[in-house]
Amino acid sequence: MPDEPLLSIEGLTVSYGAVEAVRGIDLTVKRGEVVTLLGANGAGKSSTLNALVGLAPRKARRMLFEGADIAGQATETIVRRGMTLVPEGRRVFSSLTVEENLMLGGARHAARGDPAAVKADMLERFPILAERLHQKAGSLSGGEQQMLAIARALMSSPDLLLLDEPSLGLAPQVVDRIFDLIRNLRDRGLTILLVEQNVAQSLEIADRGYVLANGRIELQGAAADLRASPEIQDAYLGA
Amino acid sequence: MKKNKLLLLSGAFAALASAPAMAEDLVIGLATAQTGGLAPYDQPNLAGLQMRIEEINAAGGIAGKFPIQTIIKDTRSDSAQTALVAQELVDAGAQLIITPCDADPSIAAGMITQGAGIPAISFCATTPTLPLAVGDYMFSNYPADNVQAAMLAAHAVESGYKTAYILTSPDSAYTLKLPQYFGQAFTAKGGALAGEGTYSMGQQDFGAEVTKIAAMDPRPDVIMTSAYEPDFPAFVRQLRGAGVTTPILGSDGIDSPTTFGLGDLVEGVVFSTAGHATAGSPLEAFNARWTERTGAAPDTIYIANGYDLGTIIEAAVTAADSLDPAAIRDGIANLEGLQGVTGAITFKGTIGMPLRAVSLVRIKAGERELVAQGQPDPADIPAP
Amino acid sequence: MDIFLQQLLNALSLGGTYALLALGLAVVFSIIGLINFAHGELMTVTGYAICFALIWGLPFPLAVMAGLAVAVVAALLMERIAFRPVRGASGTTLLLTSFAVSAILRVLFQNLISARPIPVSIPASLSGVLTIGPLHLGMIQLISIIVTLVMLLGLNLFLHRTMAGRAMRAAAEDFAVLRLMGLRANSVVATAFAISGLLAGVAGLLWVAQRGSVDPLMGALPVLKAFIAAIIGGLGSLSGAVAGGFLLGFIEVILQAYLPESLLPYRDAFAILLVIAVLLFRPQGLLARKTPVKL
Ligand SMILES: Nc1ncnc2c1ncn2[C@@H]1O[C@H](COP(=O)(O)OP(=O)(O)OP(=O)(O)O)[C@@H](O)[C@H]1O
Ligand SMILES: [Mg+2]
Repeated sequence: MPDEPLLSIEGLTVSYGAVEAVRGIDLTVKRGEVVTLLGANGAGKSSTLNALVGLAPRKARRMLFEGADIAGQATETIVRRGMTLVPEGRRVFSSLTVEENLMLGGARHAARGDPAAVKADMLERFPILAERLHQKAGSLSGGEQQMLAIARALMSSPDLLLLDEPSLGLAPQVVDRIFDLIRNLRDRGLTILLVEQNVAQSLEIADRGYVLANGRIELQGAAADLRASPEIQDAYLGA
Repeated sequence: MKKNKLLLLSGAFAALASAPAMAEDLVIGLATAQTGGLAPYDQPNLAGLQMRIEEINAAGGIAGKFPIQTIIKDTRSDSAQTALVAQELVDAGAQLIITPCDADPSIAAGMITQGAGIPAISFCATTPTLPLAVGDYMFSNYPADNVQAAMLAAHAVESGYKTAYILTSPDSAYTLKLPQYFGQAFTAKGGALAGEGTYSMGQQDFGAEVTKIAAMDPRPDVIMTSAYEPDFPAFVRQLRGAGVTTPILGSDGIDSPTTFGLGDLVEGVVFSTAGHATAGSPLEAFNARWTERTGAAPDTIYIANGYDLGTIIEAAVTAADSLDPAAIRDGIANLEGLQGVTGAITFKGTIGMPLRAVSLVRIKAGERELVAQGQPDPADIPAP
Repeated sequence: MDIFLQQLLNALSLGGTYALLALGLAVVFSIIGLINFAHGELMTVTGYAICFALIWGLPFPLAVMAGLAVAVVAALLMERIAFRPVRGASGTTLLLTSFAVSAILRVLFQNLISARPIPVSIPASLSGVLTIGPLHLGMIQLISIIVTLVMLLGLNLFLHRTMAGRAMRAAAEDFAVLRLMGLRANSVVATAFAISGLLAGVAGLLWVAQRGSVDPLMGALPVLKAFIAAIIGGLGSLSGAVAGGFLLGFIEVILQAYLPESLLPYRDAFAILLVIAVLLFRPQGLLARKTPVKL
């Protein structure tokens, strides 16, 4: 079924007790696409990503990944199926070395390929990490930690990569390097669902986009159309 | 196996207890620890007592007319719970209450029973001040600490020891006071105290204390302690491990299979206990009957002690010839020279702590060797 | 001087046992935020297992192996039956659950085995003494020190050299992200319990070797000491637990050795005062973890 979307979600709801963070959204990601999820603080972006990998309490009419139902599945099972998340705030294992972080990222890799080869590939792509291999992850700079978090996620050779605000809190030049990296991943054919506050740059990379507000999808469409839409222009691009 | 039988038995008694009391039934309320720290002492006492009660009931009750009925309640080794249970037992119409094998919960229960005018007997509390703390309706069923101490002190003097070191723990009256009574009795007879060390119960680390003893110059002639499991085995192991070969005197708390399992470490240790089965003695006969009944030899003197408690109750009620609690109290208080399986028991003339025979036993090649048996000269017993 | 050295050895031996105990608590706490008060009962289980293995005629070394194996299995069962259903619940719920497990086990021991202590025949060779110049070292003390060092070294290697060990360190830092690595939460938690069971088993063996008997309440005091040591070290920090264990052992031995006789009965009170003083200067403990526990 070549036209079947990689990820297909219908009626996803996330509630934390009385707080409903996400209220019945539909979402699809096709193979090879970069899709961006935009929205103000507290709109429910992180909740959505966390729900997809089973780290937030979720309900949905349908949750299909690669054609399989992932609604009731544990995080580790979903990750082994090929969807992984680089969480907001990087969350590297700071007391472990860079190398150990990468090893853990590839811990379940045996089933999906050769971890040594992936690690070599990773170090080639992230020379900065190769230099810091035996350093504690906590001693890296913010940008380096973000690189490590992404590299760690890539160690499992995912089919779908969820990125939660990878540019958050980084200096402008570093932000540019992160977006270069995402572009590079896209060009290699990786499917990406990207949550960002940096609307201009993400709409530039993405094929399509969704705009969340108060847990609901407000706008959606091709990246170019969104960039041109007056709402986006007013709210985010400050035109 | 023995334990299962015990459970079954107590189940049977609980069932019995729920039957309505006949007009002439003696109702004994048992506030005993089935769980917690006192269970190791209360359970064997209870088992022995139950055996005696069965025998009495099989013969038609006390003096052929007062069958015994028991109500057994668990105190969980907790003093507050013991008081609560005692109140429940009084309310349930008990004419006699049995309290746990320790002074603290017995005092807690005694506050209730004394007020209600119902006699209470502790299974085996040894603190001589127990009846003083409660009143004239409180008794215990075991040789008191100061009596054991006097016997041990007499033995120490006879053995020619001039100086003694005592090891105490402030964590219980027994572990603190018994060695101190020993010190009093020993110095009163001309001995000298070389020092007093302390330990925390259950800590089972004596490294620091043993190092101090090993460094003493001159070493004391004898070391006396009331430490028991798990402290006593750990103490001798570490003491002998430090190369100190000074003789050790202990008290009845170490009368347990664990002590005898320590081999060379305890060779020559002398301790006081409530009974010793010499050939042809009533205790030997009792042990045989117990073995026949349960399939295992008794592993503690507390079983015979509980059995004797049944005999005390039988004698007191027979003397009272009534089930009136006040009359039963007087019956207990006037018992004199009652023959139990552990020896003669006398309450007459005491404040409620019985005069009973104490045995001194030496451990020799893992076996018991009787050193002395009897009661100390009343003049030698330190005041409580 | 000799006496001081001797006391130092005593402190090392006692502190080592405390360190093993505290480490057992910390390994589990660092991962699921549970202070397992039933840890002491794992020691008791070990004691009974060794005792019955000896009664069935197994030679001592095999009986020890059996005891350790039973401790690990018991820890795993405890996790599976009692703690997994409440995983992620509030700290209070976890704490109460562990109290309940401990209480139930004690009652079971009392009613199914015996309320009275059961002797364990420790080989006479373990009662020997090693004399180094003026210093005496009991065989069991010596074994305590060696076993503690071996366990600490072994655990350190395991945590740093194996994937399961790295996963445990990562889990202590951020459990949710560890699951994003595709590692099963259940197996990481089970590993933690297995290690804590092994540590309890070794501590239980040393404890039983000193006392020569097992009784249903045997685990009560050690778990209390372990708890104090873990608090001193900073709950959840493994190196903190080890440091806390040794510090507590040193405090206790030094007080016992050098307090004047008239103050000795208050030794435990002084020890607690010193612990409080440590905590006043370092409220989070000696080596507190920086990140909070999350699941
Ligand atoms: N664990 C939680 N418990 C309770 N409420 C939560 C939790 N996580 C998020 N929320 C609430 O859910 C709502 C959506 O939060 P979410 O983190 O998904 O937003 P976001 O779009 O990622 O925001 P930001 O841009 O600030 O990261 C917020 O109101 C937030 O307070
Ligand atoms: Mg967010």
